Amino acid sequence: MKCHVGTLALAALLLALLALAALACGSAGFGWGTNGELLMLRLPRVLAALAAGLALGLGGANQQGVFRNPLADPGLTGVFGGALLGIALLLAGATEFTWNHRWALPTAAFGGALATSAVLVWLGRGRSTTKLLLTGLGLNAFTAAGTLLIAARFPEARDILINGAAGDWLGTATLELAWLPILGCVLAALLLLTQASALDRLALGEDMAFCLGTDVAQTRRQGVLLTALAAAAAICLVGQVAFIGLLAPHLARALVGPRHRAMLPFAGLLGAGLLLLADTLGRSLWPQTPISAAAMTALLGAPAFVWIASRRHE
Amino acid sequence: MSEVLLTALRLSVDLAGRTALDGVALTVSAGEVVAVVGANGAGKTTLLRACAGLLPEATGDLILGGVDPRQTAPEKLARLRAYAPQHPTSAWDYTLAELGTLASSADEFRYWQERFGLGELTARKLSELSGGERKVAHLSLAFSALGDAYGKVLLLDEPTTALDLCRAELVGRAIHASAQAGAAVLVCTHDLAWARTCERVLVLSEGRLVSDGPPSTALTAELVRATWGVA
Repeated sequence: MKCHVGTLALAALLLALLALAALACGSAGFGWGTNGELLMLRLPRVLAALAAGLALGLGGANQQGVFRNPLADPGLTGVFGGALLGIALLLAGATEFTWNHRWALPTAAFGGALATSAVLVWLGRGRSTTKLLLTGLGLNAFTAAGTLLIAARFPEARDILINGAAGDWLGTATLELAWLPILGCVLAALLLLTQASALDRLALGEDMAFCLGTDVAQTRRQGVLLTALAAAAAICLVGQVAFIGLLAPHLARALVGPRHRAMLPFAGLLGAGLLLLADTLGRSLWPQTPISAAAMTALLGAPAFVWIASRRHE
Repeated sequence: MSEVLLTALRLSVDLAGRTALDGVALTVSAGEVVAVVGANGAGKTTLLRACAGLLPEATGDLILGGVDPRQTAPEKLARLRAYAPQHPTSAWDYTLAELGTLASSADEFRYWQERFGLGELTARKLSELSGGERKVAHLSLAFSALGDAYGKVLLLDEPTTALDLCRAELVGRAIHASAQAGAAVLVCTHDLAWARTCERVLVLSEGRLVSDGPPSTALTAELVRATWGVA
C-alpha cells in the first residue's frame, strides 16, 4: 500500500504558503501593514475560509461516500439550503436575540441542516441514491425559496440573507463572531475523518459493507449528523457555497485514489485551499468590486469539475 | 456427527407484499456444502440474504454459529460468516490492492487473489478487469473473511456465474476445500452438474422448500422436470 504522508505534508505546506499569501493580499495592497494591523484585520477571514473549506471538503466526501454517488454534495442535497433557512427563521423570529447570543446563529443553522437531512432521509427511505439526490434537489429549491420569502417579508434581515445566499459572508468575519463556527468546522472535520473505513466498505454496497462488519445504519446516521454540523458551521462563516464539497473529493480521488483513508485528509485540505484561493482572488483581483467566495469558487471550480467529469472512467 | 452451524425453521420473508420465502427449514453442518437450486425468482437469493442477517424482517427461527444473525452486531457476525452477492458492485474504482485493504486480512485476500488467478493484476482497477475477474475479486473478499474457515458459515450467491470453465473449476474446488477445513457452506447455483458434487441439495420453488437431501435423491429427473419445466 502506497504511503501518502509525503504528499499530505506537501499539500499542508502549500496550504500554509497560500494562507500567508492570503494574509498579505487585499484591497489595501500587498503586505501586512507596518505594525501588522492588516494581518490582524485579514486573519479572521483567512481562518474562517480555511475552516469552512476544510469542513465542506470533508462533508462533501462523506455525502458522496454515504450516497455512493460522486454527485452528492451538501449544496445539492438541500443541507446548505436547510441551514440557511434555519438562520433566516431565527432572524425573522428573534432578530435582537440572535445578535445578543453568539451561539444562536450556529445552533439555528445546525437545526435547519439537521431537519433538512432528516426530511431527506425520510423521503428517500428505501429508494435508490439517484432518487435520494433528486429529492435533495427539490428540498434545496424549497428551502432557498423559503429563505428568499423571509428575506422579502423581513426588510431588516434582507441584506444579510441575500448576502448569505450569495456566499458573501466571509468579509464580515471577526474573531469574536467566527470562533464558534470555526470550532464547529474543525470538530466536524476531525469526526468526519473517523468514518473512513466504514465509507470504504460502504462503496461495495450496503449488503457487503454489513457482511464485512460495518454498522451501515450507524454510518448513515453519523454521516447525516456530522455533515449537518459541517455544513451549518461552514455556512455561518461563508454563506451558501456549493462547489467545494463536490470538487474537493474529486480532486482528492484523482490525486491519491478512491480509498477514504487516503483520500479524506486531502479532500479536507483541498477544500480549505480552494475556498481560501477563491476568496483571496475574489477580493484581490478587483479590490473596488470584490467577488463573493461562492461566485469565485464556481468560476474556478466549474471548468475544473467538467474536466474531471469528462475524464472519469465510468 | 458434525456440528450444525446454520439452522433455519419456518423461515419466511415478505418482500414488497410478496411472499419471497415461505416456511423454509434447513440445517448446514461443518464440513458440508449444500447447494440451493431453483428457477429464477424461487427465493434462493432471499434465503441466502436472510441467513446472512441481511433481512431483519425475516420471521421464524434462525441460528448461525450459535447466534440469531438478525440480532447480532455486524462486527461479531462478520467473524461467524462470510457472504458474496450475486452481483458485486463498487461505487469507486478501486484497484485490486485497494480492494484487498477492505478485507479483514489483506494477506488472506492476496492468497485468494493468487489462487483465483488474479496474482498479476494487483495494480489493475476494477473497471479494467473483465466481468469474471471482477466476480472472483469479490469472491476473494468473502473467502478471505473466512480465515481458517473452521466453524464459519460461507454463503455464496451464484459464485460461478460469469466465470469461464477454468475459474469456475477453481472456485468450485475452493468451496469444497473450505468445507473440508470445517466451514458450513450454502451456495445458490444454476449449475445442476456442480450441485450434484455437493453433499446435499435444496430445491426451492416459489419460496417453498420442495426437496432436501443428497443429490441422488433430492435432484431426481421428475423434480427437475417439475421445477424447471424441462426434461
